Amino acid sequence: MKKPSLQGILENLIFVWLGLGLILSIPSNSVFFPDWLQVLGRAHPLILHFPIVLLLMGFLLFWMPQKSELKKITELVILIGINFAGLTVLAGLILAREDYEGSEILWHQWAGIIVFLGSVLLYFFRKKSPTFNKAFGVILALGLVATGHWGANLTHGENFLLAPLKPDDLPKPSLSEAEVFRDMVQPILEAKCQSCHREGKVKGELRMDHLEGIQKGGKSGPFVVAGDLENSLMTQRISLPTEDKKHMPPKNKSQLSDEELSILKEWVRAGAAFDQKVTEIDSTSPLFQIATLQFSEEKTYSFSPVSQELVQSLNNYYRSVKPIHPESPALEVSYFGISAFDPTSLDDLKMIKEQLVHLNLNKMPLEGVDLSFLNDFPNLERLKLNFTGLSSGQIQQLEGLKNLRQLSLAGNSINQDGISILENLGDLSHLYLWQTGLDELQKERLRKSLKSTQIDFGFEGTGIVYELNPPKISQNKSLFSDSLEITLSHPIQSVQIRYTLDESEPDSIQSPVYSVPIWVKNSGKLKARVFAQGWKGSPTQSTVFLKSGIIPELYELKSDPNPRYKAQGSKTLFDQVKGKNNHTSGEWLGFQDSPLDLEFSIGNNQKIGSLELSLLYHEGAYIFPPSKVEILYWENGKWNSMIQKSPEPSDKIRDPRSELLKFNLGDKAFEKLKVRVFPIASLPSWHPGSGAKGWVFIDEILLN
Amino acid sequence: MEKEILEQGLNLNRRKFLSRLSLGLGSAALGSLLVPDLFSGKNPAEDALLNALPHFAPKAKRVIYLFQNGAPSQLETFDYKPLLNKNFGEELPESIRMGQRLTGMTSGQASFPLVGSYFDFQQYGESRAWISSLFPHTASIVDDICIVKSMHTEAINHDPALTFFQTGAQVGNRPSMGSWLSYGLGSENSNLPAFCVLLSKGKGNGQGVYSKLWSNGFLDATHQGVQFSNSEDPVLYLKDPKSMSRDERRKMLDQIAAMNDLSYREFNDPEITAKVQQYEMAYRMQTAVPEITDVSKEPDSIIKLYGPDCLVPGTYAANCLLARKLSESGVRFVQLYHQGWDAHDNLPNQMIGQAKDVDQASAALITDLKQRGLLDETLVIWGGEFGRTNYCQGKIQVENYGRDHHPRAFSIWMAGGGVKSGMVYGETDDFGYNITENPVHVHDFQATILHLMGIDHERLTYKHLGRRYRLTDVSGKVVKDIIT
Repeated sequence: MKKPSLQGILENLIFVWLGLGLILSIPSNSVFFPDWLQVLGRAHPLILHFPIVLLLMGFLLFWMPQKSELKKITELVILIGINFAGLTVLAGLILAREDYEGSEILWHQWAGIIVFLGSVLLYFFRKKSPTFNKAFGVILALGLVATGHWGANLTHGENFLLAPLKPDDLPKPSLSEAEVFRDMVQPILEAKCQSCHREGKVKGELRMDHLEGIQKGGKSGPFVVAGDLENSLMTQRISLPTEDKKHMPPKNKSQLSDEELSILKEWVRAGAAFDQKVTEIDSTSPLFQIATLQFSEEKTYSFSPVSQELVQSLNNYYRSVKPIHPESPALEVSYFGISAFDPTSLDDLKMIKEQLVHLNLNKMPLEGVDLSFLNDFPNLERLKLNFTGLSSGQIQQLEGLKNLRQLSLAGNSINQDGISILENLGDLSHLYLWQTGLDELQKERLRKSLKSTQIDFGFEGTGIVYELNPPKISQNKSLFSDSLEITLSHPIQSVQIRYTLDESEPDSIQSPVYSVPIWVKNSGKLKARVFAQGWKGSPTQSTVFLKSGIIPELYELKSDPNPRYKAQGSKTLFDQVKGKNNHTSGEWLGFQDSPLDLEFSIGNNQKIGSLELSLLYHEGAYIFPPSKVEILYWENGKWNSMIQKSPEPSDKIRDPRSELLKFNLGDKAFEKLKVRVFPIASLPSWHPGSGAKGWVFIDEILLN
Repeated sequence: MEKEILEQGLNLNRRKFLSRLSLGLGSAALGSLLVPDLFSGKNPAEDALLNALPHFAPKAKRVIYLFQNGAPSQLETFDYKPLLNKNFGEELPESIRMGQRLTGMTSGQASFPLVGSYFDFQQYGESRAWISSLFPHTASIVDDICIVKSMHTEAINHDPALTFFQTGAQVGNRPSMGSWLSYGLGSENSNLPAFCVLLSKGKGNGQGVYSKLWSNGFLDATHQGVQFSNSEDPVLYLKDPKSMSRDERRKMLDQIAAMNDLSYREFNDPEITAKVQQYEMAYRMQTAVPEITDVSKEPDSIIKLYGPDCLVPGTYAANCLLARKLSESGVRFVQLYHQGWDAHDNLPNQMIGQAKDVDQASAALITDLKQRGLLDETLVIWGGEFGRTNYCQGKIQVENYGRDHHPRAFSIWMAGGGVKSGMVYGETDDFGYNITENPVHVHDFQATILHLMGIDHERLTYKHLGRRYRLTDVSGKVVKDIIT
């Protein structure tokens, strides 16, 4: 007897597989499998790779020149492949008895069997014709790929293969549209459960891919029992410890996150309803809290986006066109640049008429521009037309905008017709009507007819009386030799500026009204205030101007200024430069511990009419009016007092300011004069530095 | 003959090699089609990063940040602590201070006497928020704002604290918040900078502001904050010189750009292109800015709303009005600084002046944005760099006292742009010293602002010197509770 060759054994083995396969493919519940067979069944996903590779390789080899060695190899490869195919079919048929049902398994199963049988036929008729081999090989290869694909679908889920090519899921619904089951529960079931519990693979006789399956439950009991966490199998299983055999999802599969766990439990607790909206649940429940984080209040849009190139091309320096955020098909458009505005550019928007949801035309001159084209923009929700010079007729052109929710019309005057038109825009949620010239009656009428619209009439300011701010005084210098021009101004054009030159407080009736610049010829002080209808008069603003005087021949400081504020010493007092209102500017002499004590003589027996001290007051910096000013003259070999005066003390902290103290010396000639200026010894009790020593700051002494 | 055969063979090989090579080149070309930026030298990761912005639908499109420079006291503004009035002059209990550090200005003090607010507090609005009598206008808009009483920071002195708030780090050299937003979102209006800075000064004790606070750091120079001048000409040198026409200006810019382009090709320095862009921006600003800064056409009700100071250039009120006009015209981030809140002594008096400067105009800004339908897309923030101590610095009197720096708890408010209105968030202990509920760190605050602008603060990064930087450094959590 001939020793059986490997080829012979393998050929015979094919018929073993065929026979066994025939038995198993008879649908019957009475077939009993020993455990080890079940292990073989579960090895199906492992074994199946061998026939796929071997058979495909065999079919490919048919296309190469079939010289004798290669022919043998081809035959052997296909033969081994067929044997593995048989084993795979067998294992598959055993596995199919476990929790699989539906059309998908049938396609896979029968395709597998047919490819197996086909390969057997091909093998035994291989000698007929090489062309037949090639052609039939191609057909079988295609069948093999299809079988493998259907099989993979069973294991990984139907969308697994092509998922990366498909566009992302539909946009999430907004909070107001979202449903608890559809948008919160179902996505979890889909992601974490359905790969095993669905058509084609019904583990535990439970299907989650359709509503009936979920409502029916599995072989161990009901999937959910409304409000009952204990008896709902779903919540029971997902709550078991991971090690537990019955824990779901199984240990080696992707687990539920904490958030998913609580969504599922809270859904059951709240009654496991299938058509409840998120907005219908109690806003204090954890489920609602999670929902508010998951769903934005932003609306989602179903229309399709326009191309990015189109969006790009619509952008320019004066128009911004952008999606409301990168994933949204909805566009918002803003116009900028009043002087560059061209109404014909609005025509471009027709290219995005479906996508445009926000349009901002604030401040663009739209007078007489036909806006009726906007009626073709079905999704326009928000329209900003503040200060655009719209007429009522133009507002009427907006009536067709069915989705308009927010309309800004501030700064356009609206007449009776305009009001009647606005009354028809009942779907608006917000309407902005500041500065539209409506009176109280008209406002009331709109409020009544637009009950569900929030109308903002803005701030009118009527009846509120504020204090005006002080005028601005400009003079190009403070010290002048001949005459000086002083101009007054105020930022509000409609006010009246009144002033005095005699140290009295300006009032709104008596004091002269400022119209043209004032020319002064002598040292003095100008005080000015501003008045206007509907306003409280401003605080007084004042300025000191100094006519430069005689510079003494000799002068000497008998006391030293504080070393921090010694400027140029006594020279500073006669340098004819007025200091800025800042004691640290280096133009001021500061005295704190000792009084200013200055002796001077002007010589030539010149007569002196007046002496003026230019001082700085700034209570915040402890700089106060002096407590005393003394003027003495030298006669008969001693100092004789001529003037002793205490200026008005301060009563509150005010801005730093220059003051002028003027003393009349009676137009006499003196040999020598002495001026003493005493800082206040202790700050008054109302001052934060109460009790501390005060300062005197002086920058100029003027003699005339 | 032999040679020819060899030659033939070599030729064959060469041809084969070349044809194989072309196949290789072909596949490389295909590869570059799949990864378009493969050979462009650009960093595709960075481009992708910016193209994906905003990361999600923003609630706010613009920010106006009213920075109260010098740190206003929370105890005289929004954090009402009657216990401090009751226990006036008593020692700050150690159980409250818990040995936490103090500044060098008071750490040497022998005693830390508690001092309560000189100003009365009252509850306002539906939120029943406590607001001191210094802020009547703010009280009138209380239902439009969200007061956060539980801010805390890490720095204890002005400069580091300010820098921390603005850039997320206490040392300088990082980009400012406005620069980050300019980098991430760009300008809405391409004729104006995305980031503008306005300065004003109160009469209170002032602390400096430095241009590093609005620096672009390592970002491109185009993201730098543009400081507006306090004069009647907020942006200097925008007018064409006499005898130069617009056309000539255009020609000049084109020539300069051509020359800059030459040097860019030579040196490849990105600063050169940044400069060209800035010239172009300035050219467009020549018409855009005068349209905005002209306040002469503002209606009377606006002047009453902001107060008459709003027409005096350089005042806080004028800056608030200008901020509204800039923001309305699409400037992404308007940063105001108002100096003068550093009341180490004479606090009640200084606070009166400061509050008078800012209260009306801050509230006016909210009302004004609201009546134009802009408040829901504009985020307004009011606050300083830290708070002030509940104990007195220096001499203590009921009506005259001082407060030192206190970083552990202070109050700010936010309004509009996706922030819940009429809300008070966070709580401090009865001494107003430590936070007891919902603390908000500066990085949390920054993360929240970015979130409102549609940005995930962890994803807006820039690689510099080998690491990725972000505004919130390595921490920060969005304060979801205050977001609508």
